[in-house]
Amino acid sequence: MALSARLLTLRNSPVLLKLPPYLSALCIVIGIAWFFILPLNEYSRQTYVSENAILPGQVHTYFGGSEHNVFRAYRQEVYQLSQFSETDRLAALEKVLREIGLKVAAQPYHFTVAGEEVKGTNVYGVLQGPRADATEAMVLMAAWRNFEGEINYSGLALALTLARYFKRWSIWSKDIILLIPADSTYGPEAWVSAYHSTSPDITATRNVSSLPIKAGALQATVALDYPVGPWGHRFDKLDILYDGINGALPNLDLLNTAVAIASGQMGIGCTIHGMLSHSDSYRDRLTTLAKGVVTQSAGQATGPHSAFVPYHVDAITLKTVGDGWHDEMSLGRTTESLFRSINNLLEHLHQSFFFYILLNANRFASIGNYLPAAMLLAGSFTVTALALWVQSGQVAVGPATKMEGTEKNGAQPELEVVKIGDAVALVPAATTKPAEREMLLPAAVVLAVHLASFLPLYSLNSLHRQHLPTALQTTIATSLLLPALASTALTRRSQISTQQIQIMQSFSLLLLGTSLATLATLNFSLAFVVGVLASPLSFVRPLPRGTTTGFPAVLGRVGREYRYALQVAMNLIATLLYAVASPPVVLYALCWYFSQDVGGLLLEMAKGWSVQGVYTSFVIWAVWWPAWVVGGIALCRGGGER
Amino acid sequence: MKLAQLLILPATLLSAVLAIPEYSEHLHLRPLPNGYLYAGFNFTASTSLSAYESQHFRYFPRSLGQILQHSHTKELHLRFALGRWDDESWGSRPRDGKREGGTGVEIWAWLDSGGGKPAVEERWSSLVNSLSGLFCASLNFIDRTKTTRPVLSFEPEGTHRGGGDGMELLHGTLPHEVVCTENLTPFLKLLPCKGKAGISSLLDGHKVFDANWQTMSIDVRPVCHVGEECRLEIQQTVDIVLDIERSMRPRNDPIPRPRPVEELECDESKSYHASDTCYPRRKEGEMAWSLSQIFGTPVRGSCHVADGDESPDVSLEISPDRAVEVLHSGSNETLMSDAQDQRLRVYRLSDSGKYTDISLIQQIIQEAPHQEQPPLYASRQITGFGQERGGMHAVLHNPHTYPQRIVYLESLPWFLRPYMHTLKVLSHPTTSHDQPATPVKPDKMFYTPALDRKRGTHLELLLTIPAQSTVELTYDFDKAILRYTEYPPDANRGFDVAPAIIRVLPLNSNSTAGNGKTQDSYLRTTSLLLPLPTPDFSMPYNVIILTSTVIALGFGSIFNLLVRRFVLAEEVPRSALAVRVAGVMGKVRGWVRSLKGRMRGGGDGGGRAVGGAGEAAGGAGGMNGISGVAESRKER
Repeated sequence: MALSARLLTLRNSPVLLKLPPYLSALCIVIGIAWFFILPLNEYSRQTYVSENAILPGQVHTYFGGSEHNVFRAYRQEVYQLSQFSETDRLAALEKVLREIGLKVAAQPYHFTVAGEEVKGTNVYGVLQGPRADATEAMVLMAAWRNFEGEINYSGLALALTLARYFKRWSIWSKDIILLIPADSTYGPEAWVSAYHSTSPDITATRNVSSLPIKAGALQATVALDYPVGPWGHRFDKLDILYDGINGALPNLDLLNTAVAIASGQMGIGCTIHGMLSHSDSYRDRLTTLAKGVVTQSAGQATGPHSAFVPYHVDAITLKTVGDGWHDEMSLGRTTESLFRSINNLLEHLHQSFFFYILLNANRFASIGNYLPAAMLLAGSFTVTALALWVQSGQVAVGPATKMEGTEKNGAQPELEVVKIGDAVALVPAATTKPAEREMLLPAAVVLAVHLASFLPLYSLNSLHRQHLPTALQTTIATSLLLPALASTALTRRSQISTQQIQIMQSFSLLLLGTSLATLATLNFSLAFVVGVLASPLSFVRPLPRGTTTGFPAVLGRVGREYRYALQVAMNLIATLLYAVASPPVVLYALCWYFSQDVGGLLLEMAKGWSVQGVYTSFVIWAVWWPAWVVGGIALCRGGGER
Repeated sequence: MKLAQLLILPATLLSAVLAIPEYSEHLHLRPLPNGYLYAGFNFTASTSLSAYESQHFRYFPRSLGQILQHSHTKELHLRFALGRWDDESWGSRPRDGKREGGTGVEIWAWLDSGGGKPAVEERWSSLVNSLSGLFCASLNFIDRTKTTRPVLSFEPEGTHRGGGDGMELLHGTLPHEVVCTENLTPFLKLLPCKGKAGISSLLDGHKVFDANWQTMSIDVRPVCHVGEECRLEIQQTVDIVLDIERSMRPRNDPIPRPRPVEELECDESKSYHASDTCYPRRKEGEMAWSLSQIFGTPVRGSCHVADGDESPDVSLEISPDRAVEVLHSGSNETLMSDAQDQRLRVYRLSDSGKYTDISLIQQIIQEAPHQEQPPLYASRQITGFGQERGGMHAVLHNPHTYPQRIVYLESLPWFLRPYMHTLKVLSHPTTSHDQPATPVKPDKMFYTPALDRKRGTHLELLLTIPAQSTVELTYDFDKAILRYTEYPPDANRGFDVAPAIIRVLPLNSNSTAGNGKTQDSYLRTTSLLLPLPTPDFSMPYNVIILTSTVIALGFGSIFNLLVRRFVLAEEVPRSALAVRVAGVMGKVRGWVRSLKGRMRGGGDGGGRAVGGAGEAAGGAGGMNGISGVAESRKER
């Protein structure tokens, strides 16, 4: 009890009461600084293949020779198919797959995204492994159109040639599914969700028809993206895309295997996030890291493979980049070797990391190294929340100036006489006294703001694409007005007290802190980015209002009239800065920075939300935005007397 | 005793000459579409029951016979299977699926039920353990959790005394067992020629296990013919489907490397056809093949050991237009169609001469190969994702114009916990997709729920599948969490779930559609892989979990001390609501007491009333209960 008694006395220690803002700021500074030390050798590691069974690049690859002739023919065929109508094209694709000797099926789907219908049909064929027992499968995917919307001529032709070549081998212990989705977002999503759907019927929400043929548990997916026309084009490097929906990542072993095979066995350089020239310097590593964090925090699909990752199917896309001397056969051999390696797997990929940030194709920071950054940021909110909670339990006695403690002119603390029995003592008078917390109103306000957040969330994800920019502008306008209006209403109508404001802010920040801490374990990047963007919320206090409250003492000598004008100016600046930190304004700023069209970004977000279940917009509108609004209410409430 | 048996021997042999031979073997070959070849080996041996009971074995394998005797097994069916039968392109299954097993090992047997349940279980355990040793298979892992007692799915094939009373059927599966050469070798050892001569000399592990589908079966049953002594018959079959092209690859170059450009067969009608661009042409016609190329060796000699065995060893089910040649000790002869059946060529191996080979040349046959449509198409898949729940989805498609009655049997491991209330059997016609699905009511349902670590689930449904329609059977299940030590070394692979067994019942003879089968047939779905929640067995996660716990404990207590305000119990003010409620309660109580007192009358009633009032006053005054009581005592 001695310890707890000592701790209890700490509660009233003025040092401890003043500490939280600095502690919170320290958390933010360390958190951000942490991010910058990750590229250093000491905080990252060389990648390695952890699963023994994979044996990357240990097999001799035979894909080549006359297969090249077949490939050229398939590429011509695919080129011809691109001139056909959609139904003819699908029929012709099915015919080709059937000729190869696969079990062929098609899957129509349609989605409603931002008020528009998206329709398409996936074609896929199952190569039944001669020694497989239909319990496991690997997917070779070549979307008809790649992520950029170009027709994937060579990728598809290569997949067809490989399927024909694979058919002759008897070594497959797993079935191979050749999947040709109509595009790179909706098609794979429709296919993989139908593959795992518990309901065999077409559900009204997903509008995805069930698959007629299945082949057991999917072990891994490799997508080929090689949109080069019938005359070919030699590439320089392979860009390996690995980000899944909501920042879920495939097992690092799959990525390592691809890199090891491509660069070790085939001599094809591998890049990450399109960093064509990577000198492995601190700067390049940091750029890759930042690109990775931005991509991951967006949570959007980055390629056709992305849809598979949330279903615990490890997936990557091999995308050809640059001009070089590698031809389609090298890519074919890489894919062959990759499939041989996956085929070796006895268990589902589980051995290596699922949480990592890549610094280049063979260097990564693991979760233990990077997680503190996001956790510290989330912690900064919690620290402030706790401080506000403690403060709210202590109400100032007498004029509020006592609270501030900014007098530097050596004012003596007031003393009072305490008599206990015969003993008389002179002790400093208490400047605060414990008070009951009135929590109903703050809790109700926080809850109401969180409920209100569903309005922007709904409107920005469900309206027609034409109205999305307008919806965002409306959101900005209402977001900026809401705190002022709400705060006026609360002050006028409900006579909200400073204590209640503190409790309200405390609740809101506590919620933000815990949400971000939880999120950091799922999607580090999103938690980190939102944490950085929301970090000003820790320091929001009611704006000084009136004559003396919270006024910097340095300016004490300035005339009264100037004081007032200065205060107004400073309040204005603070309010402006606060407005800039609001989620919708930040969204606008990000669009401007990445020189993206606002409508396009909003459409992508709506697409991700309604088709692939990307929760980034939920985090923005239902976690960050309410915290900002509550902070705004506190800011506008003003620090005047009760 | 033994002498007496020896003397009896010629007599039994004599009777055997007149009846079915004691041993016969047969190989049935049938090319399948898309360059596949079905080869069905059948070896049948038998012995009279009296000889069997006196442990006299001739062609019947002694090792197996003794096991059966020891475990009082009346009828035994053992299956080793690998791969899957592609019924869409290959048609109906060989032998109506009766000699086929689910992926892995499957065993069912009728045991003597004398002595009650414990005795039967003892016998079953002894049977599977002995067979495990005999066939080098993990049959000993068929314990109580993997054993079911199907009711409708199986019926004894043999003729049993008393019509099958006093026998009990037990069924066990091992879907995870990988069938391999080590199982084939003991299988061949049971044969009289041990795989050295006759058609069994073709059975080479390399080829058998390179097949797309293969199943080995052993069936032991008593057979009785009228007027003869009952015999115990053992039928061993090996059914395989080989990819002709793959099997014919020379043994010294088995790698399917790309062929030289000159050998590519190109579709020259394509507009882009050029010397470096070649659209592969679809292969036409039937491929050339020979036994020695496919099996790596010709048939060595013959195995005509039993007397009275005059049946042909090899039969080919093939178009009458195809030319078939038999190469026997350096001489060629053309094999002609059978007199009765044009599609059949039969050949009896010669007892003289060393090698026999059968070869066919490449031919383009106009006539479409004859194929029997399978009675039913079935597939089964696990749906859902995640580690908590899943669903089972079986699709049964009846392509025929008449309804079919089937028995659907599932034996599930205990860690898959099905919810039977979610069992839905829906049927919709195949021809029109617009019609809504109609529920199908099972005619009968047998369900034995699982007991954790003791018994698996047994589900048997008797269903009628309407004509030309698809029946979808779905239910949801939970995935159990196993104990730490119950996970196998490859825990992350998932756990195998045995295939569903579907028995298609024969149509009634007086049914309207006359083209249905008169015998029942079987088919099995593929086995499934069930991913279970798996703990991370690696060290770092354990460390993380431990440190997190310690930090949470430390943080929790310090946080508690910092935030909570400590006051004495007496200092805690009562909440306004509680005070009000207590006041009302006190008033009511006081009123009730005074009422009682008034009813009884007399002086002591007044005292009670005063006490009650005191309590009420105490409650109203915001005091706690004790002080209220004390006050009332004082007043007393």
